[in-house]
Formats: sequence, C-alpha cells, structure tokens
Amino acid sequence: MVETTATATPLPARRIPGWLPLTLMTILMLGIGAYAAAQSSDFLSSYNLSTLLGSSGALPLALVAMGQTHALMVRGFDVSVGALMTLTVVVGSFILTGSETWYELAFGSLALVAIGLFVGLVNAGLIRKVGLPSIIATLAALSVMQGISLQLRNVPGGEISADVMDALNTSIGFMPVAFIGVVVLAVVGDLWLYGTTSGLTARAVGLDESSSRRLGAPAERIHWRAFVLCSLMATIAGFFLAAQVGIGDARVGGGYALTSIAAAVLGGASLLGGKGSFIGAVVGALFLSLIINILPLPNILPGFLLEWSGALGYISIGVLTLLALILYQGPELWVRVRTAWRDIRPSRPSEGENLA
Amino acid sequence: MSSTAPEPTSVVLALSGVSKRFGTVQALRDVSVECRAGEIHAVVGENGSGKSTLLGVASGYLTPDEGVVEIGGHRLHTGNAAEALRFGLGMAYQTYAQVLDLSVAENLYLGAPSSERPGFHRMDAWATEWLHGFGLDVNVSARMGSLPLGERQLVEVAKALLSKPKVLLLDEPTTALGPGEVERLHRLVLDRAAAGVGVVYVSHRLPEVLEIAGRVTVLRDGVSQGTHGAAGMSEEDLVSLMIGRPLQLAFPSRNGGLSDDVLLTVGGFRGRRFGPVDLTLRRGEILGVAGAEGNGQVELLRCLAGVERGTGSVVCDGTKVNLRSPTGALRAGIVLLSGDRAREALFPVLGVRSNSTIQVLKRLSRAGVLRRGKERDLVGGMVKRLKVRTPSIEQPVRFLSGGNQQKVALTRPFLRDVRVILAEEPTQGVDVRSRFDIYEALREKADQGVSMIVKSSDPLELAGLCDRVVVVSRGRIIDEIPASELSERRIIEAIVRSGGRVAADREQPVPAPAEDAVDG
Repeated sequence: MVETTATATPLPARRIPGWLPLTLMTILMLGIGAYAAAQSSDFLSSYNLSTLLGSSGALPLALVAMGQTHALMVRGFDVSVGALMTLTVVVGSFILTGSETWYELAFGSLALVAIGLFVGLVNAGLIRKVGLPSIIATLAALSVMQGISLQLRNVPGGEISADVMDALNTSIGFMPVAFIGVVVLAVVGDLWLYGTTSGLTARAVGLDESSSRRLGAPAERIHWRAFVLCSLMATIAGFFLAAQVGIGDARVGGGYALTSIAAAVLGGASLLGGKGSFIGAVVGALFLSLIINILPLPNILPGFLLEWSGALGYISIGVLTLLALILYQGPELWVRVRTAWRDIRPSRPSEGENLA
Repeated sequence: MSSTAPEPTSVVLALSGVSKRFGTVQALRDVSVECRAGEIHAVVGENGSGKSTLLGVASGYLTPDEGVVEIGGHRLHTGNAAEALRFGLGMAYQTYAQVLDLSVAENLYLGAPSSERPGFHRMDAWATEWLHGFGLDVNVSARMGSLPLGERQLVEVAKALLSKPKVLLLDEPTTALGPGEVERLHRLVLDRAAAGVGVVYVSHRLPEVLEIAGRVTVLRDGVSQGTHGAAGMSEEDLVSLMIGRPLQLAFPSRNGGLSDDVLLTVGGFRGRRFGPVDLTLRRGEILGVAGAEGNGQVELLRCLAGVERGTGSVVCDGTKVNLRSPTGALRAGIVLLSGDRAREALFPVLGVRSNSTIQVLKRLSRAGVLRRGKERDLVGGMVKRLKVRTPSIEQPVRFLSGGNQQKVALTRPFLRDVRVILAEEPTQGVDVRSRFDIYEALREKADQGVSMIVKSSDPLELAGLCDRVVVVSRGRIIDEIPASELSERRIIEAIVRSGGRVAADREQPVPAPAEDAVDG
C-alpha cells in the first residue's frame, strides 16, 4: 500500500468553479451600480449608460479582452493589442475620412483588417517559428507599431468619416447595437470553447502542449490561430476606438494592453493557459469600465480626492487585477503553502502523509 | 508461442532503416522492426538504448532523420501523431499523454479518433462505459491529475485502445502497477493479441517480457541486435544481447584494502519516490547506485545533498547532518555534482575561473577583496591537474565540451574540504578521453579518503569505477553487489530481474553487510 509512487502524486488542487468569478463580479457590479445610482442621479441617465456601454466605454475594451482571452488560452500574452488599436485609428484617419465614397470606405476597412491579420501572423511567427516568448515578441511589435503611428500622426489630425462613426455608434435607446453584438459573440465563443471538440482541443493545448500533441491535437495551428484572432479582435476594437475619438491620435490606445489582460483575468482567465471565458472577459471589461465611469461622477468621491479620479481608475485596475489573480489562484496558492509547511515541519515518516 | 511459424502473417507495423539523432547523440541507427497482426513483440534494451525513441518514431510523435514507418501498409509521412492514429496505431506512453487539468472523460475524448467519438455532451457516459469494459470504475468527470498513478497507467492503456488499433504500442506499461494489476494488464494484452492486434511491448522487466511476448527485438546503443523468438530465450540470453560495448574503457585500479572506518550512515531515509533506504559508506569508498531510470535514484542523491527534502537520519563523520537545505549538507562536507550541468552545476556564461572558485571566494579574499593572482594560480593548477582542455581559464564554460564542463564542476570539490561527493551521471555526454580523466580524478579523491556515491545509468561505468554497487527499484535497495562480483552483466541482471513480482514481494531493504548478495 505504501508504494513510493503515492508520494510522487502532486497534491490535488481544488479547482475554482468557472462560474465563481462571474458571479462575484456581477454582484460587485450591481452593488457598485446601486451605490452610484443612489449617490448621483447622473449615473442612470441614458447618456451615461450609453457612454458606459458604447465605444467610449466598455465596447472596445470588451472586444480586445476577448481577443486577449484567445492569447491567454494558449498560455501567451499579446501586449501589442493597444498599439495595433492605435495604428488602426491612425491609419483610419487617412483612409476612412469624410471625403471617401462608400466603396472606398469598405475597401479601407478591409485594408485595416488586413493590417491586423498581418500583425497577428508576424506575432505568431515570432513566437512559434523564431521561438521568442510571447511577451517579448509582442512587445517588439508594439514598439514598431507605436513608432509608425507617431510618424504618421505626429500631432493629432485627420478625421474619421461621420457616417462610419454613426454606423458604429447606432443605439436602440441607451443600448449600443454593437454591444449586443459583442455579447452574442461572447456567448457563441463560450459555447465553442466549452461545448465543442475544437474548443476542448484549444483548452487542452493551453493546459499542456506536449501531452495534447501526443493526443493528436494540432498545437501549432491552434497557437497561430490564437494570436491571429487576438490581433483581428484588436483591429475591430480599433474601429470602435476610432468611432470614439474621431481623429487620428497616436496616443489613444496605449492603455489597452494592460486593461485587456486585466479584464480577461478578472473574467477568470489563467496566466498559465487553458482557462478562461469570453463572457468573463466581457463582464470584466464592463466592470473596469464601470469603475472608470463612476469615479468622476459628482458625490462618488470625497471632495479632496476629486482631482485624483482619473488616476484612481488606473490604480484600481491594477489592484483589482492582483486581487483577481490571488483569489482565483487561491487553491493552488494554498497547496503551495501547505507543501512548504510540510517541508519546514520536522516530519516523521507517517503513513498518513502518503495518503495526503 | 509459435510466432516463428512459417506462414505469412500480415505486418501491421514496419519500421525500416530508421535513424534518429538528438544533437550529438545518435539515439537510433538503422533500426528495422516488424510487428505482425496478433503477435506480442517485445522491445528490450538498457537505459538509453533507444527504446523510447523507437516508440516515438513509430507513433509519429518524432520525425525520423532517415527511414520509413508503415502502419497497416500506410506510409507515415510526417511526425504527425494524428495521422498515425488514423492509420490504426494506439500508443500508451510511459510518461502518460494526459492533460492533468482536464477530466478523465475529456482526455479519453481527445485521444479518440473522430470516428469513435460520441456527441460532445454524451462524453461522460461514453467514457464510463469504455473504462468499465476494462474493469476500471473511475469517476470520469474527476480531474485526470487526481487519479492514483496505477489507475492513470491503466487508463492510458484503455485510451490507446480507443481507436480500435491494428497495432498497440506500450511503453513500460507496468512501472506503476502492483502484481495483481500487472496480471490484469497482461490478460488484457493477450486478449487483444488473440483478436488480431499486433502489440509492441517495451519493457526493461525481462520476466514480464518472456512471459508475454512471442518475439523479442533487442536494442543496444541505438542499434538493433536482431529479432528473436522468445520461446527458446532465457533471461541470460537476452542480457547477453543487451550488453557489450564496442569500446572497452580503461578504469583506474581500485586500491586494495578499504578501511572499515564508516564515514556516512544513512538510516530509514525517505523522500519523494524513494525510501526507506539504509546505507553505510566507508571512508574512501566509491558506492554505485544502479537501477532502471525513474526508480528514485536521482531523488535519493538530491535528498542527501539537501536539494530536496528527505526524512530520516544521516550521520557524517559522527555528526548528524542537517539536510533542510544544501547549506547544511555543504557544511557537513557533502557536495552534489548535479547531472544537469547546464542548469544546476555551472554558470554557463561565466568563465572557468569563476565557475571553479565560486564556493571558496571567501578563502581567496582578504578584507572582502578577491586576490586575483592567488585565484588564477589555484585555478590554473586545477586545470592542469584535471586536464581541462580550454583555451584559457576565462573561457565561458558553455563553449567547452561536455567532458570539460564536467571537469570544471569537479574542480570545486578539489578546492574545498569535502567528505562525501554525490555524483549524478558523472560522464553523461562526455567523450571517451575525458571520461577516463574524470574516473581518474574521482579515484584520486577517493584515495585521499573522500567517499562517493555515484548514480549512473551505465552499468559498465559502475562496474569499472565502484567498490560496491547497490541496485534500486521502486525507491528501495533490492540488491547489493560487492567488488568481487562486480561486472556489467551482474548489474544488468540485477536490474532486469528487479522488475515485476520479484521486487514487489521483497518487503525488507537489504541490510548493510556487503557479503550477503541476495539475488545470488
């Protein structure tokens, strides 16, 4: 019975159930929303709600966070998404202006998508063919794209076609149509990820590449697909960012690298790959946008903190991301603490230990 | 078994002229193996003889440099596991191809060819039913990682059969199984073979192999020693084919009389994958540790060095050793020569000088300032003494050959006070000439009264270098070979006999006295 093999088995880690992050965040959001509504009548105004959900708020973040979920799913990071969004806006300010005809606009949009596709392929190639860590490869891509954007729009200029902006910002009441599309996309994405063979294979590759390859999973293709999809989602997010700012500005998308990772992680994505959900990414994006949205509203912050409202948004994003990581990986952390404690304790060769 | 029967049987797996090289190691050289429908074809060989590489190539996981793999008459094109699966190959890996964080059912589902898969949402019922067919009652929605190793091994075999394969590859399928489970697995395998499946059975446990196989192919250093009918073979015959080395090495002579002075006493020592282990080591003695890979030998050494945690008593030169950290072991004069030179033993980008003096800098400094001249003289002397071939003592060690790297690591115990050296695979990846230099250096140190424990997967090396060899199986010492009986053959016989029931039935570790050879 006391086979030595028993001690070689790692301690079983209890898993965080997938619904927990979502439930937690939804409850928190409702709480924060109720508090904000009670403190400030502006919060529930249709203008503010459409700002919160639309292209000035959660919409671009939700899209890019869904893209980032693809990269995180295969144990990668894509820090170039923000720079790609910026590049989309900047290039868009040249080819999607008010003077273009509709077919020129359509062609220009396709060109922007092609840029996204190209960036995704370059990222994937650097990671899979050259063998660079994803964070380094995409950091390099970030720098290159940032440089191009700065050269193209040294100072903000150009303008995005009002027709395009209006089309992207179409709303039913306060609800932007595009946001409904994002939610549908997220639901479809999760049905794929958790309800199909293809999705299962993707998660398996993220969890353990070599074992899943031996099981016959096309690991190489799945990695390429993940980074290409991530870039394409960033490009689409870039369109909505353009609809928000309306002008070619080379400094507009920088923050999205961090916030997209934060939103995905808040939604339950693991930095170790194979875990996460698209609905979670959207809820995470909503949550972060909510915080940034309510801080400047009257009566939310005490007076002396008012001029901190912008900074507090970023600070809370960082703190929340850390909290989410610690909380969701709690069981694994707990096992590590227990193992460490077992090692420190002057242990006797007790039989019970083998069964632990 | 009448597998040598003359009537032509269909060949389900054919490897022809397969060669595979990893870096500088030729893992397989022009190997051809044929497995026919309905036969159990064993592949045996020492550690590192190329068994696992052969299976990797056959299963499409590794791409061979040369040669052709045919499964059921279809030629396998690339290193593509999915294609091999389609052609009718099932593979149970020694290290298990299992994603631990997915459920048992999800693992089976991924491992099944698409034609055998049920609807995605019927997965659990399907997996339960399949495993039940093998007498395995497992909660299939549990994480794969939560299963005990024995069950995971049986699930791995059941998974390999999912594709209703024409040929089934089993890589050391019994390492985690108890005697009853081995029996069960063998019944299952015989049953499949009777149904016309060709089985390739890789194992180092000769009793099991002879019990179940019809034909046996022997590998030695990546070269096939031919395929033989198992019926007429004995364990001795197989061992004869497994051993023998094209190149015989010269070993430094043992000094005749070892003192009876005991330097190191290890009692009731346990750790990850081994224990309890009792050992005594005399002053100036070189003790070899042999065994099939993965039976706890490495962990034993690492625990003795305080790198991993072990429990039990370790007394060195009359003082109890504190093994909570490597520092305690070092203070007692116990040093580890790690087998993982590039990552653990050396700083690859630093030069020879820095690598060899890193542990004794205090002794070479005055008021905290290093005395470069003294350091250079010391290292220069060492380099000459151990015959390190390097253009200068400032050469970064990553540009040195494996043998010279190992010599640099060896300079450390020469520069400080040591009582016990724990050497893990001291000549792995080392060229022949450097090997001899290393053996000489180790023996020289032993003659000065330093004791050593050498873990090696090379029986020839253990037989030539050591004063005594213990054989480890499943974490316990199951045999002890004194100098008078030491030979490559004797060691291999002890290792291969340790497989299966023989070892499992033996409850007591062998006591220290060397003369009671147990397997005699």
